[in-house]
Amino acid sequence: MTTVRQWFKAQGWTPQAFQKDCWKAYGEGKNGMLHAPTGSGKTFALWGGILQEALKIKKHPVGIQALWITPLRALAVEIQQATQRMTSELHPDLNIAMRTGDTSQSERAKQKRKPSFGLVTTPESLHVLLSTKDHPKSFQHLKVIVVDEWHELLGTKRGVQVELTIAYLRSFFPELKVWGISATLGDKDLAREILLGPIENYVTVNAQIKKKIKVKSILPKNMESFPWRGHLGIHLLPQVLKLVQKNKTTLIFTNTRAQCEIWFHRLLEADSNLAGSIAMHHGSIDKKIRLWVEDALRQEQLKVVVCTSSLDLGVDFSPVENCVQIGSPKGVGRFIQRAGRSGHRPKAGSTIHFLPTHAMELIESVALQRGIEQQQIEDRIPFLNSYDVLLQFLMTLAVGKGFQPKELFPILQNTFCFQTLDEERWQWLLNFLVKGSQSLEHYDEYKKVNVLEDGTLKVLNKGIAMRHRLSMGTIVSDANLKIRYQKGGYLGTVEEWFVAKLKPGDVFTFSGRNLELIRMHNMEVIVRKSKSKKSRIPAWMGGRMSFSAHLSDLLKQALCEERNLETPEFKALAPVFYQQQRESIIPQPNQFLIERFQTREGYHTVFYPFEGYAIHEAMASLMAYRVSLLSPITFSMSFNDYGFELLSDQPFAKDDFLDNNLLTLDHLHEDLEKSINVSEMARRRFRDIAVISGLVFQGFPNKPIKAKHLQSGSQLFYDVFKDYEPDNLLYQQALEETFDHGMENGRMTQVFENIAGQEIIWRDCSQPTPFSFPLITDRIRSKLSSESVEDRIKKMYLQLEKAGE
Amino acid sequence: MKRIKIKENHFVLHPSGAVFWEEQKTLLLADVHLGKVAHFRKNGIAVPRKAEGAFYQKITALLAEFPIARFLFLGDLFHSFQNNEWLLFTAWVKQQKASMVLVEGNHDVIPAAQFEEIGLQVVDQLMEEGFYFSHFPTKKETHFVFCGHVHPGVKLKGSGLQQMKMPCFFQSPQQMILPAFGAFTGLHILTPKEGDQVYVNTGKEVTEIRENKI
Repeated sequence: MTTVRQWFKAQGWTPQAFQKDCWKAYGEGKNGMLHAPTGSGKTFALWGGILQEALKIKKHPVGIQALWITPLRALAVEIQQATQRMTSELHPDLNIAMRTGDTSQSERAKQKRKPSFGLVTTPESLHVLLSTKDHPKSFQHLKVIVVDEWHELLGTKRGVQVELTIAYLRSFFPELKVWGISATLGDKDLAREILLGPIENYVTVNAQIKKKIKVKSILPKNMESFPWRGHLGIHLLPQVLKLVQKNKTTLIFTNTRAQCEIWFHRLLEADSNLAGSIAMHHGSIDKKIRLWVEDALRQEQLKVVVCTSSLDLGVDFSPVENCVQIGSPKGVGRFIQRAGRSGHRPKAGSTIHFLPTHAMELIESVALQRGIEQQQIEDRIPFLNSYDVLLQFLMTLAVGKGFQPKELFPILQNTFCFQTLDEERWQWLLNFLVKGSQSLEHYDEYKKVNVLEDGTLKVLNKGIAMRHRLSMGTIVSDANLKIRYQKGGYLGTVEEWFVAKLKPGDVFTFSGRNLELIRMHNMEVIVRKSKSKKSRIPAWMGGRMSFSAHLSDLLKQALCEERNLETPEFKALAPVFYQQQRESIIPQPNQFLIERFQTREGYHTVFYPFEGYAIHEAMASLMAYRVSLLSPITFSMSFNDYGFELLSDQPFAKDDFLDNNLLTLDHLHEDLEKSINVSEMARRRFRDIAVISGLVFQGFPNKPIKAKHLQSGSQLFYDVFKDYEPDNLLYQQALEETFDHGMENGRMTQVFENIAGQEIIWRDCSQPTPFSFPLITDRIRSKLSSESVEDRIKKMYLQLEKAGE
Repeated sequence: MKRIKIKENHFVLHPSGAVFWEEQKTLLLADVHLGKVAHFRKNGIAVPRKAEGAFYQKITALLAEFPIARFLFLGDLFHSFQNNEWLLFTAWVKQQKASMVLVEGNHDVIPAAQFEEIGLQVVDQLMEEGFYFSHFPTKKETHFVFCGHVHPGVKLKGSGLQQMKMPCFFQSPQQMILPAFGAFTGLHILTPKEGDQVYVNTGKEVTEIRENKI
């Protein structure tokens, strides 16, 4: 029988050092973490180890031995194909199956009857397997779990799902090996500890590969006409078209699905020759179309694909020569990831074109290039005490085999996320599942999880079990409706709130086509093709991401480093800088800039900490809260990665602000906590929590809604908890998550420490400055008020429906 | 509180969401959705039970404030099928001196006979003194309509890009839609047209809102 090394040789490859290291460590029975960039051959580093061991045995028992968890469905397809190919050539009896949300019913049944040696899956699909009664039996031969692209899961609730799965399975099979694969992170020990848990027997392997990544900004000919705001970047379409025409295959990355639809449309409009060789790829497009696009890319049949993060990871599209990033990628990690889509072969260099959608993003481009020089991606903030994910996990066990609270408790305490879970809160969670409250009340008919005679917690009610099975998974979205042609043929999904705004006869753009809404029926949107030129573009929620701390630091440096003045980006920015300096200043590292000006909308006060969206969101709330203590006032706030704006209908005085030292580090914790309670920040976080914990039922996919009278929005839950049960752990979780992510591991404290050493510069400006422009024109806003609702209403008015509508 | 006049009759729009018809000593209540919390709980969704109790507290306060001779429920009195909440409601009805009428709504799946058994009169709609009472909004040439069903709310705007969504009493030339009286009920946002009048309800005050200003 051939060995893994011989197989490598037969392919004409030489094993790299990190691959050999992995094989060796795996053979010694170690757990581990491999840090290697995409496209470096990391799959074979782990799979080689697994196979090497499997080759020692001729006749394998029937059952899953290796689980491979990936964050993306598209990636699962790749991994399955790559591992199957290698396996078939070395041990023809062994098969690798794939199980994701896209896997058909019949395929699932087949996998159950005849489990394969390896299974490639996602965190959600793995939880579905845990909800079956006989899961300990189906995993009885399990030897290893590999978690791929761990950096993508770390710091998300899906990561918490993975932590729980590993701790749970390890409790059955203490010999289970766990391996993670991740991009290079700043805090490698933390990343490892979260995934592997508290174990000693591990190694860390680092691939010493430096990929050459070239970044080129797409610059307009004339900076005078360069917009100060915006997120589409359409004005640079001619330059993009030129790039497309010059290269064999181009991937264009957009940040939102709406942006993706618009670019697709505009490119086709600008060059009709592209018809047939242009395609679109985003998460809401039907799986058949997505798979077709992925396939056509590999077959070199496409010249250009406009896509979102759905094509970010791993997928090997060797023909791709060229990548374009539209708008800020929001982090060095994602940018490297995307750049890596081109020249996707070990050691091949990559080129990515960055298209700034507004002037400020040109500064970012420079910062990104500096970040790439350091080849390090940003650290993730792990979730702690995610009760919503835990409740969902408990329900998953309860609809299957059931669980013994006493046995499960220590297992949970072994995970990173729930290491501080105590008896009291554990009891609260159990009460929540069994009694729906903390005290038994007269007349109450609460039904969810039953306690059996031996103390096992198990769901007996079939309706409740079915509803849970259908709503498992932590990726949260609004209720999704399928889009279908009247004559049949699915196009994909769109969120319910968008369709709710449409009337029959309205035309919208989806998957690159203009579609006319005929009617909505049983969670399906029935459409026909439309020739109409005017149409609406659906927006999908949840597209907003923050700059990482890492990128903010780079950005601040970029602004003041001499050498950057010579870059083409900064040269192009000269007119913008000139305008900024005429009204205000470009803040230097020792300066903290505040601008005040008045427009028709009211009084704008703009702050520039340059610390990233997440920090600014919390900071805006905090500053608004402190100002609102001086006198009753209402703020509407906006924030981006450069700064934040407080907008009010009445001004607050500069002297009041400065004399009261509102930028102080004192009482930072208390003030932030109070501002979270007053503002509505936690409300948005609660949306996810309500869905994950099973409070909000999203309806059955592909089926008429049978959950009549059981649907309710998360907002309503937020309000009743706030009013009637503020000590509810799920409500508290929303506040704590907001606080933790606002504080960002003490980063907020550092920010205020920095400010204490800075000179505060308050500029009264006669008109909006270039730096402020993206902020004051942003319509996604938060609010905070210290006026009574009654007083505010007296100043407000209604907008009438326009005539003719 | 806001007192308005329609067809020579006087109506008090109360911050609880109820309307008191002075001439007939009748309290109008729409969309109480009793048992909604219990229904969710019975299906494994843990809405705090306290949210349900709000009905009886609010109604006790109203009884002290107005000389109520009759309760007129404009539909969706009960959210779903019978549960223990029914027993509480029966006990409450027994203590009341006022008469009770239920105009049936889409959520009222409990058979009319059961309501009648405990002393409620059940009708599809009611016509009285030039007024028409129904659950669903409707147009009547000769009658002014009082109805519910919609759970109306409006979006308010103010300078400084301020926005707020609030429940309201929504009046058009021939119709008044009442806000939902029940807790845990949600809002449906309406856009007023020329000639509509909106009374926003903060729970403490009922305020008439200026329209347009463009």
